Amino acid sequence: MTNPYVPVLVLMAVAAVLALGGVGASAVIGPKRYNRAKLEAYECGIMPTPHAVGGGRLPIKYYLVAMTFIVFDIEVVFLYPWAVNFAYLAAYGLIAALTFLALITVPFVYEWRRGGFDWV
Amino acid sequence: MNDFVPPHIDWAALSPIIVVLGAGIVGVLVEAFVPARARRTTQLVLSLGGLLGALVAIGLLWDSVQSNVILVVGDSFDLTPFGLAIQGIVVVLAFLSMLVIADRSGGQDAFAPTAAAVPGSRYEEEARRAGLQQTEVFPLALFSTGGMMLFAATDDLIILFVALEVLSLPLYVLSATARRRRLLSQEAAFKYFLLGAFTSALTVFGIALLYGFAGSVHLPVIADALAGRGDSPLAGLHVLAVAGIVLVCVGLLFKVGAAPFHTWTPDVYTGAPTPITGFMAVCTKAAAFGALVRVLFYLGQGFDAATRHEVHVLLWTVAIATMAIGTIVGVVQTDIKRLLAYSSIAHAGFVLVALVAFDEVATSAVLFYLLAYGLATLGAFAVVSLVRERIATDDAGAGGTRDSLILGEATHLAQWAGLGRKAPWLTAAFVLFLLSMAGVPLTAGFVGKFAVFGAAIHAGAWPLALIGGVASAISLFYYVRIIVLMVFTPASDEAGDGVPAAGAGVAGPLGAAGVAEPRGAADVAEPLGAAGVATVTQARPATRAVVTVMTGWGPAAVVVALCAIGVVLLGVVPSWVLDLAAGAAKFVP
Amino acid sequence: MAVTNYLILAAILFSIGATTVLLRRNAIIVFMGIELMLNATNLAFVTFARIHGDLTGQVLAFFVMVVAAAEVVVGLAIIVTIFRTRRSASVDDVNLLSR
Repeated sequence: MTNPYVPVLVLMAVAAVLALGGVGASAVIGPKRYNRAKLEAYECGIMPTPHAVGGGRLPIKYYLVAMTFIVFDIEVVFLYPWAVNFAYLAAYGLIAALTFLALITVPFVYEWRRGGFDWV
Repeated sequence: MNDFVPPHIDWAALSPIIVVLGAGIVGVLVEAFVPARARRTTQLVLSLGGLLGALVAIGLLWDSVQSNVILVVGDSFDLTPFGLAIQGIVVVLAFLSMLVIADRSGGQDAFAPTAAAVPGSRYEEEARRAGLQQTEVFPLALFSTGGMMLFAATDDLIILFVALEVLSLPLYVLSATARRRRLLSQEAAFKYFLLGAFTSALTVFGIALLYGFAGSVHLPVIADALAGRGDSPLAGLHVLAVAGIVLVCVGLLFKVGAAPFHTWTPDVYTGAPTPITGFMAVCTKAAAFGALVRVLFYLGQGFDAATRHEVHVLLWTVAIATMAIGTIVGVVQTDIKRLLAYSSIAHAGFVLVALVAFDEVATSAVLFYLLAYGLATLGAFAVVSLVRERIATDDAGAGGTRDSLILGEATHLAQWAGLGRKAPWLTAAFVLFLLSMAGVPLTAGFVGKFAVFGAAIHAGAWPLALIGGVASAISLFYYVRIIVLMVFTPASDEAGDGVPAAGAGVAGPLGAAGVAEPRGAADVAEPLGAAGVATVTQARPATRAVVTVMTGWGPAAVVVALCAIGVVLLGVVPSWVLDLAAGAAKFVP
Repeated sequence: MAVTNYLILAAILFSIGATTVLLRRNAIIVFMGIELMLNATNLAFVTFARIHGDLTGQVLAFFVMVVAAAEVVVGLAIIVTIFRTRRSASVDDVNLLSR
């Protein structure tokens, strides 16, 4: 009935109003009493980046563990579809999944050999 | 339950990519198990061998792919002559880049001993003294090359996205690993990463819209749906398709470095280690243009007149803006790496000129231009990596300590004055590369420009070709400016360089005024490294730096020679490569 | 139909993410904006998969998730390196190259 682009325009307008309006409204009507904690990025209740004495040393292991976790945790998602259809995919699926696991092991071995897991 | 039919996989046709990525994986294992002192040699042999193997595989596939297109993995990846040709160009240029990466003229490679250490910290200094090396750059570059080869050879948009990330993520890391001016290097990686991640998010949203439109991410199916032959419930929503195509193109144009999305290019090219800049400038651009041609030309088959017109308007605008920004802003640059970055933006514009044609004349022109541009640019960056600063102390020539006094690259244009007298052969090669970029006859660049403008005129886009000609004329101005500077202007520090012991005192004040002043920005960039010669950072208020050129046959010098030979060959006898390119012009099965 | 609501939600989330990237100054928050864009894309993918009645979209969502994870790791590494040098994660402070 109408131009097909009209709903898109409406959608973009709604999105713009929501996004800009939220930022704008809080800038205009929100009370502004800043303190240090409010200005920090929120990170699960801990100090976003620990400010160590002397300004030098960060517990870099925190980031190393986080990165290792993210990578090896998320990659496993590819195993779910295989697990669901394990019987149907038969030998082909098994070989593919094992190849995938072997490839995942390579960076794991690298990190282990280069001391990425020496936490204690 | 019916039986599972495994997809057909043609391993032979996949072999170039498998060899490169496999070499990368073995490289990671080498990092894990080979003792530190043997790593560099092993990695070098492995990566060069892997790329050579891939090149051989491409050569073996060449004839069979000419006669019939090979469907590789089901229908998600098919090997066309065009895809194979782009893979060949990427592998050849990556091989040359790998030699520049391996170069150690001046005693050190271009990469930080420990890229993770804080610049100027004690830990970094200890790592430097222990002679640690970042050999991870070789597998990272191999992974990136593998991603580029996949990028240009797939018809499946999601594989396109995965390949985009496989080629980008190693590049983000590599950008941050420069041995000198580490803050600039980290900043380059930071900018590249944030902008790259933003555009890849835009791209994947565009892919989602195209999937919604056609019910598939397979390019032929989307082209059918565009032509109204699809059976998708949303096929009537043409707006989804147009928005999707635009968003996907944004991602590809970003990688290409075209005009509205070019802003990262000068900063990243300047900050990244020079060998990596060369690799990024030529290989990424070749792969991204391959993907752009493939996506646009494939979908172009399904366009109706109106859509085709809209896409044409978009391409014309982007091409003109890219050429204009690349040439006009390039004129006022004072840093050689920034200047080459703007030159590469301008070249992206010239290739886009051919793209408006949407036919096979254009694809072969794009292939030839990418090779010509790649050889000249890679050679130029290899020369940049050999022009260094040296601390002019009285005992500089006294023997053993001399190597450690060689500093980073002398990238300010003022420091390039009089280079012709210090290193005539290297300067001659650089002049050749600049002339090729400018498109002077008897160089590869001339034939390339002739081909792309010819393709545009062939398609009736002569105004665009005319603008391209004007832009090349303007760019000639700044290339010639550098040539005059190198060949005819005397160096400000010449006396100090020739006679270190006696001349340093006489020429000291003059040279310091001429050379040290433009280094101000770099000194600001290194607030932490004030310890002078011993640190790898560069703040040295009292010391005078002179420009010196690494001579001798290191790998980078070999690359310069090979690129120069290539540029001349492609310029004088271009017919055999043009024939190859014309044979590889077929972009759809 | 009700399914389109998910598409509208995806578009809104994507716009909020893009606005965050363009407006915010803290690198970590800019980064979160990019993640929001990718997750909005995932929502669009699974919704389209539902509309078309095929599984491709769901598989694609997996790929986007994994790529996003890889991006987080590389990006976080770069941001942490910058922060350790400069004590600042503001995108405005990173301006040595634009002189």
